[in-house]
Amino acid sequence: MIRHLAAAALLLSTACLAIGPAAAADPGITDTEILIGDVEPLTGPPALLGVAASIGHKIAIAEANAAGGINGRKIKYVLEDDGYVTARTIQGVKKVIDVDKAFAMIGISGSGQSIAVMPLLEKSGIPTVIDVGPVKPLWEPPRKNVFVVGQSYEEGIVDLVNFLADKNPGKKWGLITQDDDYGVAVHDGFDSVVKAKKLNVVYSGNYKKGQQDFSSDMLQLKESGAEVFLAGGIIAENIAMMKEIEKLGIKPVTGIFWPGRVEPVLKLMGPAGDGIYAVDYVEPFAGAAGKAFLEKAKPLVSEAEFKGINRYTMTGYAAARVLIAAIERCGKQPTWACTISELEKTRNVETGVMAPISFGPGVRFSNQKLQIMQADTATLSFKPVN
Amino acid sequence: MQYLIQLLISGLAIGAIYGLIAMGFAVIYKSTGLVNFAQGEMTMITAYIAWTISTTVSGNVFIVAIGAILAAVVLGLVIERLVMRPMLGEPVFATVMVTIGLAVILRSAINFVWDAYPHALDIGMGRGIVHLGGIGLRTGQIAVIVTLLALLAAIWAFFRYSKVGVAMRAVASDDRTALLMGISATKVHALAWAASSVIAGIGGVFFALSYDLSPAMFQLGLKAFPATILGGLDAVLGSGLGGLLIGITESLAGGYLSSGMKEVAGFAMIIVVLMVRPFGIFGERDIERV
Repeated sequence: MIRHLAAAALLLSTACLAIGPAAAADPGITDTEILIGDVEPLTGPPALLGVAASIGHKIAIAEANAAGGINGRKIKYVLEDDGYVTARTIQGVKKVIDVDKAFAMIGISGSGQSIAVMPLLEKSGIPTVIDVGPVKPLWEPPRKNVFVVGQSYEEGIVDLVNFLADKNPGKKWGLITQDDDYGVAVHDGFDSVVKAKKLNVVYSGNYKKGQQDFSSDMLQLKESGAEVFLAGGIIAENIAMMKEIEKLGIKPVTGIFWPGRVEPVLKLMGPAGDGIYAVDYVEPFAGAAGKAFLEKAKPLVSEAEFKGINRYTMTGYAAARVLIAAIERCGKQPTWACTISELEKTRNVETGVMAPISFGPGVRFSNQKLQIMQADTATLSFKPVN
Repeated sequence: MQYLIQLLISGLAIGAIYGLIAMGFAVIYKSTGLVNFAQGEMTMITAYIAWTISTTVSGNVFIVAIGAILAAVVLGLVIERLVMRPMLGEPVFATVMVTIGLAVILRSAINFVWDAYPHALDIGMGRGIVHLGGIGLRTGQIAVIVTLLALLAAIWAFFRYSKVGVAMRAVASDDRTALLMGISATKVHALAWAASSVIAGIGGVFFALSYDLSPAMFQLGLKAFPATILGGLDAVLGSGLGGLLIGITESLAGGYLSSGMKEVAGFAMIIVVLMVRPFGIFGERDIERV
């Protein structure tokens, strides 16, 4: 009898162990709610991207909740501020996973911060969609549970420089980059086209992150005689550079990169910003898709949040849509394993704010299609040119 | 030659802004013996208030100027009364840590009260470009250089001839003796915080005029601090001139060496100067009875 009981107990415990991880509910999910976590810079200058991205997540979540949630469960969103400080990003992600016990993660601060939390995400196994700072180390090598929506900085720069080089053959080039991982990515992309197209680079500057006065840098650019200029700043830096260029009375053909492609920048640049080129993988707000997105967003966010919408809102929205759709496809009892599997099966998901999004087996990067845009100061907007 | 002149003028323009903020550091240090690590943030807050006045009340230059000065006075007084006065008599280290904490709070306040976007301070002047001998300059840049020079003269006269200025020097020199002479040290401290806030705030407003407002503006404090050290932490006028020197050094380094050198040139300069004159170019040699 004792032997039978012991055998039964052993069988039962073995069975429990075998089905445990699958049957036990994954964190962040109840009968009525699913919790999605995020860590973004909500204070300091990079709040410009962190706040905007979080608004995008909120729009997608509000849209899904208005339609009944994910198979009847309302989505709850928990957002932590890291102030763009990597140590705080790590703390924030730990809190979201261990304390808040989120079911999935989205967004995650800047590129450097996302790279820093990668081991933590990988170890926890939480389904994650990154949308703010797409850089290669986030998807190479591919991690089972981490997906990235966007396009690489290098690819973006290659696309922009190729476009400007074809449009301005034989011209002299100038470039200025920031002294961080973002600047290195921009420089690498630029260098690859310089070699391929044998561009004549007459000025190459590298400024320290946080620099505000670009008078001597732009004076050097003027002295070099550069006719095509790649402004590798982010927001305030590009504005300062363009205003210096205006002051110096020169007008090189100028290209900027997507982190700086936000409409308020054009207002601040004034006439100096007219006609500058930009590369991006999200739709401009001046286009039909951009206008439709704004219409959709208006009733779903507060007035203050609506004012904070920029291109990062679109990237955040698209990523959240992909994540929500994947969880939804898992049916009534979504798990981490199922969500990851469904994310991997994501094929041509239309979000309305960028080209359709796809992942695949071993493919964790959506590799979005790029487009070149040109600034129109009169309407304070960017318009596609290719 | 024109290249050199353009670099010098650009250096003077940004240096004048550093100088104004550096004078703010020195006013507080001279009167209270304290280094205020929230100086850059106070500068930024005043500039943001000026922008708020210009966009909500009136864009008239006089209204914005008076409003910003009053706001800076209130900011300085409130910080002194609520944050610094309770720290009187506490160890200097603790008081300095309080200013660091204050800096973080003020920096974060920008996002809570305003937003993370850059903004243009438009008061109908200061943004125009004038060409002097083929050299382009914004009118705001000319104005800030003139303002710094005028303030240097005014502050020299204030400390030299006014009763309050002499009282401030007395407190800085020996607060106990000053107290026995009937001078209220707390009133002098409050005045110093208000004056420092106004002087640095003027620098912030000029920066916003010539460049733009952004939450990164607090970093001006980090650039102005070497100017104070260079000029002399206790030398208000010296700090103003130190700002000009740092601005010119940065500009020349950026123009003749590399962009990267621009940011370190000012610090390299203060290392060299402090090795020769540890109390700064215009600072007083500190003599203590041992």
